[in-house]
Amino acid sequence: MAKETPKDPLITYAENTWCPGCGNFGLLTAFKNAIKRLEEHGTPRDRIVITAGIGCHGKIHDYLNLSGFYSLHGRSMATAQGMKLANPGLKVVDFCGDGDAFGEGLEHMLFAAKRNADITVIVHDNGVYGLTTGQFTPTSEKGYRGPSTPYGSIEDPLNPLVLLLEAGATFVARGYPGNQAQLTDIFVQAIEHEGFSFVDVLQPCVSFNNTYKRYNEVTEHLDAPAKDLDEALKISRKKDRLPIGVIYNYSRPIFHRELFGDKVPVKDRTPFDRRHDAIRKILKV
Amino acid sequence: MAKDIFTYLVGGKAGEGVKKAGQAAARLFSDMGRRAIEYDDYMSLIKGGHNFSIISTSVHEITSHYLKADLVVALDQRSFDMHIDHVVDDGVLVFNSDTVKAKESPKVVGLPMTEEAKKYPEPALRLGLAGPSVLAAVIGLERAQLRSLIEKEYGRGVKENLAFGQAVYEMAKAKIGARFELEPAVSDKSRPIITGNEAISLGAAAAGLDIFFAYPMTPTSSILHYLAAKSPELGIAVVHPENEIAVLNMAVGAAAMGARTMVASSGGGFALMEEAISLAGMTETPVLCVLGSRPGPSTGVPTYSEQGDLQFALNQGHGEFSRLVASPGSIEEAFYLSGELLGLAWRFQTPTILLTEKHLCEGAMTVDIDVAKVKFAEGLMHKESKGPYKRYLDTKDGVSPMLFPPSKELIKYDSYEHDELGITTEDPKEIVKMHDKRRRKGESIVSHLRKMHTVNTFGEGKNKGPVVFTYGSTTLSVLEAFRYGELQGTVVQPIYLEPFPVWELAKYKDRKAIVVEQSSVGAFASLLKDKAGIEGTWALRRYDGRPFEPTELASELKGVM
Repeated sequence: MAKETPKDPLITYAENTWCPGCGNFGLLTAFKNAIKRLEEHGTPRDRIVITAGIGCHGKIHDYLNLSGFYSLHGRSMATAQGMKLANPGLKVVDFCGDGDAFGEGLEHMLFAAKRNADITVIVHDNGVYGLTTGQFTPTSEKGYRGPSTPYGSIEDPLNPLVLLLEAGATFVARGYPGNQAQLTDIFVQAIEHEGFSFVDVLQPCVSFNNTYKRYNEVTEHLDAPAKDLDEALKISRKKDRLPIGVIYNYSRPIFHRELFGDKVPVKDRTPFDRRHDAIRKILKV
Repeated sequence: MAKDIFTYLVGGKAGEGVKKAGQAAARLFSDMGRRAIEYDDYMSLIKGGHNFSIISTSVHEITSHYLKADLVVALDQRSFDMHIDHVVDDGVLVFNSDTVKAKESPKVVGLPMTEEAKKYPEPALRLGLAGPSVLAAVIGLERAQLRSLIEKEYGRGVKENLAFGQAVYEMAKAKIGARFELEPAVSDKSRPIITGNEAISLGAAAAGLDIFFAYPMTPTSSILHYLAAKSPELGIAVVHPENEIAVLNMAVGAAAMGARTMVASSGGGFALMEEAISLAGMTETPVLCVLGSRPGPSTGVPTYSEQGDLQFALNQGHGEFSRLVASPGSIEEAFYLSGELLGLAWRFQTPTILLTEKHLCEGAMTVDIDVAKVKFAEGLMHKESKGPYKRYLDTKDGVSPMLFPPSKELIKYDSYEHDELGITTEDPKEIVKMHDKRRRKGESIVSHLRKMHTVNTFGEGKNKGPVVFTYGSTTLSVLEAFRYGELQGTVVQPIYLEPFPVWELAKYKDRKAIVVEQSSVGAFASLLKDKAGIEGTWALRRYDGRPFEPTELASELKGVM
């Protein structure tokens, strides 16, 4: 196995096995640019940790030269919240596929939004299970033909933006790798946002669900976030045109701070002897 | 004649403060310098039904309640009907004459408890206090002693409680005051009374627990409640997420960033966590997992006890990685073992399982605990190295140094098979390398356990008679049966079940073996046979959800020993 040190300091020696032309390349480039921007803004890269689900998207965990935890299918949102709780000083970015986020792990996603966990979830939303050869996912269009739905999917897709807005996400955006500058900007804002930030990235799959042409036609630039939840929902429900940009962005108390204030559990430990004294006091011994 | 072992049983409807009436009595005995053990039998409902608490007390060591009581307090008809036959020959049953229809006799005494309770607001809530008040009268305590107990244990609405309690006390005193004389304790040193779940919580806290994650499930919910309540004093964060899958995945994520974490559930919830147990095994992430059993399969009998999850615990997680499973035989042991298993999780960067049962989780007893015996859970930490840091550095003992972000080094955990750096691999050589590393870690665990205390042995004398094998909370029943029946023989209780300490057990191979467990299929007997080559001559099994009763078990053991 070739293990040459790559020229790009943000990339590891892992061989990139995404299909040529995959939408993940554009997402990766925008994310690397976002990291550089964040460093300019004062967040060093060693304070940014990543996690990922399982699928084509998850390989980004191997490719990015950032510390992290390559999690299970559908569980990375829970992993990310655990990472944040242990050390709130870290910025935690969770990459997941639409199968992870809205199928296997939907409950974790909705609850992360509900409790306003201070993590960033980036969904590589390609409407297909690529790595398992093209089955329909929670966001596939009705009628989608894959190996598990050879005569066309009979289910309507979920609308991730509406779901997340209703669940209480405090930052909701839609991105498209076809617009690099904007996607980079969305990532930077999402990671800098205090609270649960969610970015649904429309990601074409060249092998099983090539949506480049359609997305190039129907995406439109959203100038400014919605003023309130109703407007955000209205923008998110649009079907004929797909607005790209930050859809909603507001502030409310974040989970770990509500739970234990500004404490950093892995750093601000009660000294061992004081912990033992507290236990003796409880036991009255 | 002064009684050494004395048993008090209080029964009533859920919502009448039956459990509290048990706890208060246990506290009373402890304050007299006695030892006490409390058993709560309750149904899976909120109001009504039938609940009862049994407290057995002694000045000597006592490890099980007795079903036949010296004093039974029946708050309602159902309790009366159920427990009228549970009074010892020279015992007494005191019933609530407002709700129970029964004929009085010197042994069966009625007191108008509800009428008395009705004099105060919320009479139903106060009813349970009749239990300890009657108890105080029949064992000849002074009014002041009851007063101090009520002030301590029934603080809410204390004025009314004092009035009610003392009225019941006077009524009981007039009819059956000082009926029993308890053997005086050697000292009046009061011991803490804690449940198994409290012991598990405090043991982990003593070893440095940072964050506890759990979703409610009987019988481990009270770990969640207890740690949540004590979180400010202990400096622990407590999180109750959406389900058990999130519970363990969060705990693993937090542990990977350096937090000492613990999770707890019963069979069903634990089954949901199983995927992440394998994840912790693969990513080499330390986490302590508590499995509190109740009768299964499936939803089973939620508020009762069984040892039907032994094989489930031993085989947790898909794939090949080393597991560590241990089960405490007493509440004191639960305290130390919880701390020890958090320590082993960190030492070997792997999930460890504390297997126990409802009987221990929710049972309470007086304990002698030395907090200082619990060591801080520490892992091997990375120091300077020549090349880059490698999360899965291929070491001789299979344990790779840990390092946590933020760091200039790259720290990658991976659920896929990975190389030393933590990058996914499908290379056959790398696959073998990592399998071998994890296998060597398993061998290191065994060598480490060989130096540890892994098996408890009781009563091994010069005469090599029959050996009674048991484990977990059944140990409590077996030891009490031995004391009660004055049985001669050896009791062997493996604390560690995986790796199974066969090196300690080999010497019993040729002895007559009796295996006592709460399992219908004899899971523990199979383990002894398969791993240690010990074939049980006799099997004593109980699987009706109730722990073994010492008098019954003593006669069964006598029959086979």
